[in-house]
Amino acid sequence: MFSIGDIMTRDLLTVGPSKSVEHAATLMNQHRIGGLPVVEDGRLVGIITSRDVRSSHFNRLVADAMSRQVVVVPMECSLWEAKELLERHRIERLVVVRNGLPVGIVTKSQLYVELGKHIDALTGLQRAEFLQRKASEFLQNGKEIAIIFLDLDDFGAIDKELGHVWGDKILQQVAQVLRSAVEDGVDYLSRYAGDEFAVVTTRPFEDAKKLALQMVTALTRESWPYELRVTGSAGVAGGRRTCSRRQEDEVHTVSDLINMASLASTKAKKEKKPVVVAGMVELKEAG
Amino acid sequence: MASKSLFPSPSEPKRKAEVSIRLSEFEIPPMQDVLLVGKKAPIGPEAIKRMVNALSPDQYEVTQLDHDIFQAAVLKKSLVKLLPEEKLLPIMLEEGSHIATERTVVKAQVNVVIQVNRVADL
Repeated sequence: MFSIGDIMTRDLLTVGPSKSVEHAATLMNQHRIGGLPVVEDGRLVGIITSRDVRSSHFNRLVADAMSRQVVVVPMECSLWEAKELLERHRIERLVVVRNGLPVGIVTKSQLYVELGKHIDALTGLQRAEFLQRKASEFLQNGKEIAIIFLDLDDFGAIDKELGHVWGDKILQQVAQVLRSAVEDGVDYLSRYAGDEFAVVTTRPFEDAKKLALQMVTALTRESWPYELRVTGSAGVAGGRRTCSRRQEDEVHTVSDLINMASLASTKAKKEKKPVVVAGMVELKEAG
Repeated sequence: MASKSLFPSPSEPKRKAEVSIRLSEFEIPPMQDVLLVGKKAPIGPEAIKRMVNALSPDQYEVTQLDHDIFQAAVLKKSLVKLLPEEKLLPIMLEEGSHIATERTVVKAQVNVVIQVNRVADL
């Protein structure tokens, strides 16, 4: 359930541009909603919100009170892309379109509730799905990405020795350390599973390798409870596509990259190296 | 069986309706030469446009404004032929601003007299 189409309200309530603002306000009150897409002959021509209603005379036409610039998204839009759109435009709702026609609406609160399910409660980091989607989105936009997969060394021993409560505290601290090593808007950190963390970054591959080393080093330099030594091993895999492909294909490519980075981190652990580079994959398939 | 009187007893109040009628011709078009539409007026530019097109097709043009008080102006095309919009509109907005608020629609009758003095060689 990662697409807007999965969570949108399908019972779309709309209003015509020739209706009065009063009519729109009554509809909004009756249905306890804060906005209505304005539709004429099946075509989306605007949106009227409770804010527009408050600032307009009730006698006005909806056409004279609505906003004509409507931010729309396709049903396939990811939850995270939708969140970025809402925040960038500082709006409360997005109209969902299919073949140019409005088919649903999604509000900020609906979206945030759904996104909350993809946040790891222990560390506050995004979960693996976020990494998949973000990486897929970058590849679709023709960007070069790198996946850094970081696995804590012998974390099971910490759990056994100190108990799971302390184990959880260590994981929270690891998340903090890694969060301060990455840069917002460039690197996207997630807790992939148990004691595994992953980053998708748009840094050039060489810089991604440096970041992986910085993350491992940051763990080594951190002071841990009971003077523990918490270390990690990282694997890095990069990918670049020159022509855009279908989203489903990108998901497979991202899975491959994550897998490569994960295997590289296992190799790093075995070889007792901080970072092992799986390589840079050129993705040249035709679109 | 006692019948009820059709007339009110002296204690009941008398009610009368007084009808006064003023008839005058509805002007077509009713908006005269210029309309200035306030930003929060009961009627907006789209409604004005529909009204104007229905009542006097092709005789007026509606201009959206970026102004403190007014959102749109409706100008009679024949007037704009005499005095271009870029000359007429600033005058109308300046004068309209003195008497209007964001909530009003102002209508104005405008007379433009062109004075021409020409010299011809004898």
